Amino acid sequence: MIERIEKATEIRHWLGDMEADHYYYSSGIAGERFFVALRDEGKILGSHCAACNLTYVPPRIYCEHCFAELTEYKEMGKRGCVVTFTVAHYDKAGHRLDPPEIFALISFGPCTTPLLHRLGEIEPEKICVGLEVEAVLKPKKDREGKITDILYFKPAK
Amino acid sequence: MNLTKIRKDVAVVGAGMTVFARRLQETGKEMSWEAAKMALDEAGLTLKDIDAVILGSAPDAFDGVHKKGDWLLDGAGGTNKPFMRVYTGGGTAVFAPIAGWWHVASGMFKRVLVVCEEKMSSVQPHAQSAFAHIWDPILDRPLKPNLVWIFAMEMQRYMHKYNVRYEDIALVAVKNKRNAVGHPCAQLADPNITLDDVINSEPMALPVRRLDISPPSDGASAIVLVSEDVAYEHTDTPVWIDGVGWCIDTTMWTNRDLAFPKFVARAAKMAYEMAGIKNPRKEIDFAEPYDPFDYKELQHLEGLLLADPGEAAIMTREGKTQRDGEFPVCPSGGLLGVGNPIAATLGIKIGEVYWQLARKAGPRQVKKDVRTGVTQAWGDLMQFSAVIVMRRR
Ligand SMILES: [Zn+2]
Repeated sequence: MIERIEKATEIRHWLGDMEADHYYYSSGIAGERFFVALRDEGKILGSHCAACNLTYVPPRIYCEHCFAELTEYKEMGKRGCVVTFTVAHYDKAGHRLDPPEIFALISFGPCTTPLLHRLGEIEPEKICVGLEVEAVLKPKKDREGKITDILYFKPAK
Repeated sequence: MNLTKIRKDVAVVGAGMTVFARRLQETGKEMSWEAAKMALDEAGLTLKDIDAVILGSAPDAFDGVHKKGDWLLDGAGGTNKPFMRVYTGGGTAVFAPIAGWWHVASGMFKRVLVVCEEKMSSVQPHAQSAFAHIWDPILDRPLKPNLVWIFAMEMQRYMHKYNVRYEDIALVAVKNKRNAVGHPCAQLADPNITLDDVINSEPMALPVRRLDISPPSDGASAIVLVSEDVAYEHTDTPVWIDGVGWCIDTTMWTNRDLAFPKFVARAAKMAYEMAGIKNPRKEIDFAEPYDPFDYKELQHLEGLLLADPGEAAIMTREGKTQRDGEFPVCPSGGLLGVGNPIAATLGIKIGEVYWQLARKAGPRQVKKDVRTGVTQAWGDLMQFSAVIVMRRR
């Protein structure tokens, strides 16, 4: 590999940053219902577009395909199946993960959009596409209304 | 959509690109100037002859400056001219040329310079840090995703649905790193790489291993586009842009068909219709699809309707996609072999198709007589595709 200068600090340089690095992201109208239901009732909600026969998980207030307003909220249950997965050996900063972490897309049934989350209580070799899993939630007192209120998904009994 | 009554035919008459490498010393502007000057020189033009300039570059976060378009303006030659920046992530490599194309095809401009630049080495500690902010802040970011993971999940889904073997995917990395030998700008060429090297390389996010990926890089590339009215004033071998198309899938990556890239197929159909191509497999001689990961070359060939789903892996195994095979794919060496400075990969996508069709590809020239080529780039959060069909007449 061609690297004429190995270290950025060996050349004349100016250190800088983009200072506005804090933002407030809001969860939106449908997001508020999703996270409150998760925190208070331990439920995973979706919203359904009858015209497209598609259920969005997490819910949205509109369908992006037909632009209908979505008002029908559904409880998805806690069981789903693995659509795809990866065994991650590095974290987002490039540091080694030991043991590796497993991430997957979980589908709550046909014609629903999958949810990204972790898998737990399973060996990487035992995972396959189609595996049935169920959500493991934090105890109610610890839940904050965040996606991490779901700890991970584990193989369903 | 009107894909037939375009006002002016548009030709590529010059291309240039810098070495792809970690280039800490040069600024992005300097690299842009170097590539733009090469393209102008090949076209026999000076900056004075250029009517308008298009700049392509990926996230502002790479450089730590906002409004990167006007930041790179002077190196790209845009000062005191009609100028615009376009940005569709990795797709910029082929989308910026499309923006240049519509400037000329509209009849508004006769000679347009398109410059694409990327400098990924400024951001610390790693370009991954800039990618951290492309995710949904509420659903994705709390799980601390790394960009490689979503590609790994896509690759897994592709392998599962179409029964594709990892060994066949890894052969793409071997082919492209070997093809890059002889490319004057290559960062990752390796004449001795073997399938075992790829298969035994370090696991990143399985099924993705280190040699399945093209790492970050710095560089710039440029092309000169001219109207049919003046093309033959500049060269005897103009290469014509006969079809363009682009399309984007949903923002939520979880909700897409991860096995078959429908948005690539939509963009390809648009470009093929404009180019009058009815049977792409018969009418196209070679392809330069976007290959930041080895499995993407295969998925993109299938999206471009040049192979059935899952078939591109078999074509690779049978050697058909080798430079001297019956359907050469990534004769440049691609992103896997030459390097991956996001937008600047213009030089190994539309740039390579131009050089191949103009028979200027030197040691990379494919053996068979090629008259029609297709190139494609893939970007935003793995959901966008731009496609260009080019011909020598
Ligand atoms: Zn709908």
